[in-house]
Amino acid sequence: MATEKKLTGGSLLFNVLEQHGVEHVFGYPGGAIMPIYDALYDSNVEHFLCRHEQGAAFSAVGYARASGKVGVCFATSGPGATNLITGLADALADSIPVVAITGQVATSAMGSDAFQEIDIFGLSLACTKHSFQVTDINDLAKVLHQAFAIALEGRQGPVLVDIPKDIQLAEVNGCLDKLVSLKNKVKLPPANVGSAIALLNQAKQPVLYVGGGVGMANAVDELREFASITGVPSVSTLKGLGAIDPEDENYLGMLGMHGTKAANLAVQQCDLLIAVGARFDDRVTGKLNEFAPNAKVIHFDIDTAEINKRRVADAAILGDLKVNLPALAIPLSIATWQDKCQQMKVDFAWDYNHPGESIFAPAVLKEVSDKMPKNTCVTTDVGQHQMWAAQHMLFDDPSNFLTSGGMGTMGFGVPAAVGAQVSRPTDCIVAVSGDGSFMMNVQELSTIKRFQLPVKIVLIDNAKLGMVRQWQDLFFNGRLSETDLADNPDFVMLANAFDIKAKLISKKSEVSDAIEDMMNHDGPYLLQVKINAQDNVWPLVPPNTANDKMMEST
Amino acid sequence: MNNYQLMIKADDKQVVLERILQVARYRGFLISGIHAQVNTGTNIGTIELLVRSERPIELLVDQINKLIDIKEVKVDNSASQQCIA
Repeated sequence: MATEKKLTGGSLLFNVLEQHGVEHVFGYPGGAIMPIYDALYDSNVEHFLCRHEQGAAFSAVGYARASGKVGVCFATSGPGATNLITGLADALADSIPVVAITGQVATSAMGSDAFQEIDIFGLSLACTKHSFQVTDINDLAKVLHQAFAIALEGRQGPVLVDIPKDIQLAEVNGCLDKLVSLKNKVKLPPANVGSAIALLNQAKQPVLYVGGGVGMANAVDELREFASITGVPSVSTLKGLGAIDPEDENYLGMLGMHGTKAANLAVQQCDLLIAVGARFDDRVTGKLNEFAPNAKVIHFDIDTAEINKRRVADAAILGDLKVNLPALAIPLSIATWQDKCQQMKVDFAWDYNHPGESIFAPAVLKEVSDKMPKNTCVTTDVGQHQMWAAQHMLFDDPSNFLTSGGMGTMGFGVPAAVGAQVSRPTDCIVAVSGDGSFMMNVQELSTIKRFQLPVKIVLIDNAKLGMVRQWQDLFFNGRLSETDLADNPDFVMLANAFDIKAKLISKKSEVSDAIEDMMNHDGPYLLQVKINAQDNVWPLVPPNTANDKMMEST
Repeated sequence: MNNYQLMIKADDKQVVLERILQVARYRGFLISGIHAQVNTGTNIGTIELLVRSERPIELLVDQINKLIDIKEVKVDNSASQQCIA
């Protein structure tokens, strides 16, 4: 009679990961997670050593967003685990499916202030969709299956599983559990389709307000079909960019604080706002009680808690967008409104004329966008360069624009690009960064070097924390406070130290050749683009102001 | 400021009470009282939560309902009241 094979908790972890199709993980080892790293030796999962746990978390986020799969990251107990938190918070804010595995001190030592012990389970409550701490080896497989189910079910999000060292070492029956479904799924009320159809038929000036939920629901085709059949002019949130074809004649661009004038004016004038996978975020609405003041609202979402949270919905359509969008796709007679919106788009088109020899970042990013191959995935950091990328680069799918939307986390761009490149090794990956953000996870250049990832980095360098400087100039009487970064390192030399080819440009005449050189280079490349430190992002809706009262320059 | 009483049923899982309290605080509800007990036969916990807030109770109900271990959240209207402060 054959003896049933025993596995350690660490080996069981990798078996379950493989059961869920996980091929790549990002992490950093340490004392309390050593049995898992020992089991890694015998697994088929490929591990990418990052140089900081925050880098590992963002790489997992980038991996998930670029591929549609669950991103997985590992960290040890104590500081390793706490270093994951910003990445998990980022994943929670942007609804990204990530499973984080943390090592923990042995159960016998827990609660004794042991070396590298922290209550990561407690810390996780505010920055994960759900979390577990495994204190019985017999629960490990079930918990891990639940973690994947929860990360992907409904509104996606990060799940943390904390595994004490003795559980990683304990032996358990080698039989793998079946994949589980969730017991307490939120029951959604029926979609208010009748009311929504009536609102659509009554509308003279409807606008489609597209959010990140469309990409998360894998409903890009259904959304485009809805937009095509109804003909409703559309606008996008930062995270929704790519869901609507940017060449669609009825698409007006991004709305909100740095949205296009056409998008914001159309929303302010509309009589029906059709929110799809969007949550009326404060950066979108400006002054909430003056946002789309004359509009009725149809709100499509998967999350009951988003309905009526910041704006009352006249018709709530809860559930899967892939099912619900086709149910409301009816032709509308709105030609006059379409013409008006298309005329606004022409009247308020971007102007790339920029006097002088200094480089104009919007024009650079537009040229990168024009020259990048199809299916290029762009990541950004956070700040002025992020808004310029959102405004001036075109994306044909949400999985091709990865930016930290809800959390606005500086340091996101380079590690997210690492994750994106690992998930899509044959696609071009471009990280657009700023000199402030870049320095926040600069150690991940070492990950790029280690794995020879051909990531292209466009570093918009104004030697400032540019967005904060812009706000200090505009709203704090020019009292600049701690936003000068004139002592930045030599970025070309820094990149070269990681065996990354790099070039600095500072004049308009250098831009086109430099972009060509970067795109034609086989390996990783850093293009440092010096710009005028006084350049601002326009338009700008000042805080607590209606979106039609935007500033366009000073 | 409004007073509300919530009746919550939840699986008896790790830190479920901490999760409920964290959500209530973060979403802008002050906790006036709490009573919790577990049916050891069914492993289902029952929590009566008294909260105060300027915000509508639906905001909290929806957020607690999203917690994975929650089975049911009801507002006890007979015990909830609006205070004129």
